[in-house]
Amino acid sequence: MMCLTGEEPESTLGENEARHGTEQDAELDAAFTVLLEDSAEELYESAPCGYLSTMLDGTIAKINATLLDWLGLRREAVVARMRFADLLTVGGKLYHETHFAPLLRMRGELHGIALEMTTAGGGRLPVLVSSVIKHGSEGEPLLVRTTVFDASDRRAYEQELLRRRHEAEQARAEAEQARAEAERARAEAERARRQAEADRAELADALAALQQALVPTSLPVVPGLETAVHYHTASPVRLGGDFYDLFRLDERRWAFFLGDVSGKGPQAAAVTSLTRYTLRAAALLDPEPATALTTLNAVLHERYAADGDPRYCTAIVGIAEPAADPGCITIRLASGGHPPALLLRADGQTDFLPTPGGMLVGALPTAVFTTAETTLAPGDTMLLYTDGLTEARTGPRRDSLYGEAALRAFAADLAPAGPQQAINALTGLLTSFGDGLDDDTALLALGVPALGSQTRPTPDGT
Amino acid sequence: MFPLQITRRDSATGPVLYVTGDLDHHYAPVLRDQVERLDVKAGQCLVIDLAGLEFCDSSGITALLAARQFAQAAGADFALAAVPDNTLRILTIVGLHRIFTIHPGSNAV
Repeated sequence: MMCLTGEEPESTLGENEARHGTEQDAELDAAFTVLLEDSAEELYESAPCGYLSTMLDGTIAKINATLLDWLGLRREAVVARMRFADLLTVGGKLYHETHFAPLLRMRGELHGIALEMTTAGGGRLPVLVSSVIKHGSEGEPLLVRTTVFDASDRRAYEQELLRRRHEAEQARAEAEQARAEAERARAEAERARRQAEADRAELADALAALQQALVPTSLPVVPGLETAVHYHTASPVRLGGDFYDLFRLDERRWAFFLGDVSGKGPQAAAVTSLTRYTLRAAALLDPEPATALTTLNAVLHERYAADGDPRYCTAIVGIAEPAADPGCITIRLASGGHPPALLLRADGQTDFLPTPGGMLVGALPTAVFTTAETTLAPGDTMLLYTDGLTEARTGPRRDSLYGEAALRAFAADLAPAGPQQAINALTGLLTSFGDGLDDDTALLALGVPALGSQTRPTPDGT
Repeated sequence: MFPLQITRRDSATGPVLYVTGDLDHHYAPVLRDQVERLDVKAGQCLVIDLAGLEFCDSSGITALLAARQFAQAAGADFALAAVPDNTLRILTIVGLHRIFTIHPGSNAV
């Protein structure tokens, strides 16, 4: 109401204010009177908040029209008939009984307490209640004056806040759950990756174990003979089709072989295994190299070719034994379809040890093998190799191959060379082929140490 | 890479297969398959003409051996014609030049 007075135009007050003061005051009073037509009674009844006065026992003595209107009650039904607590919801009554009334008695006043009232229509009216106890001249409590503010909007706003907060909580929980699920999925993927790695490692171990069945892990020490080997598989996860071995026959003699099985992969490896152990057994029974190849030919042909699935190999089998000349070793070998051995002599001369006409092993029911013999003197080295070396591509065409002539020239530059020196040089040569080396390759070198050179220690001290 | 091509001609003495391209791990089974479909009669001679052969590896050698075995099982002879030098070199290394009947010239005229 007071704010309306501020809207009175100040221009009505001028420099004649003093002279016309009384007249103007009268005009103002008239304006206020018009505006303040509300009597105190009118103000009480129509105020924008609820008013009620109650006896100390809670009986309602007076209530304004605003509150009656909010609650949908008639004055006659309320005054002297109802108590303040009767206007409240069940929960409101409880709160009033246990908190509101005792606190009010204790403090004499309470402000802004949130309660819920029931309307005649059965609805709920959230309100903020303030009460003051009016005391008499002797300080004795007389009655309770109470104002009631409609808190519906405020309650709705609070509930909206609560709802939003709940939604935010829910969204956070969902995000947390999604994060947990992603974490689980990541852990699952990690487990799968570890499993795959373990499987791969296991497979690699199995392949390595099988590979060791095809070639010896290390070469035995042979008295009076130096040996060296190089084994290259075209793929680390593919079993090689090349094979070699070196083993003792008796006190004087040692057997060795090197070869190449047709085809690739596990089937070829199976043939390789059969081949290796057949040759070992055959060499032990009969030390004539050609006989070992004949036995192998019969075994492979019976096992594969008879079934219409011809599988064969090329191989050189040899026997080494001390020669009549002290310090020399006699080599007697037989070839079945295998490239000839290469001799690097101590005097630098380099020659193939021809074994022409020896036939593929296992391809035909009967096969002819070619035998050759040589003596290794001190400083001489014999090299056996598979065609991975001579068939390595050196040009863009598939038939631009390294070849035996180039190998011989390479060896001629090398000679004289001990077995390890020769193998080292050839390993470097293989590396230089790069992608041209697309097949397995086995190299085996045997040599008599040159006079005056450091010989390898041997078990019997020779 | 030269895809394998096989053409067949029936001569008075028996079927002739003209092989061109690569006889390798990939294509050798094609030759084996073609050979097994042939109707070779006893007393005839199955000839494989290699004048157009670009490349031959151990799988190719196996296919030629299988063809020879197939002809012999039918009571027929088997011969290779116009074997390229590099293939002849391999056949010589593995001793098969003594097993295969090899005609120097090509019949593909």
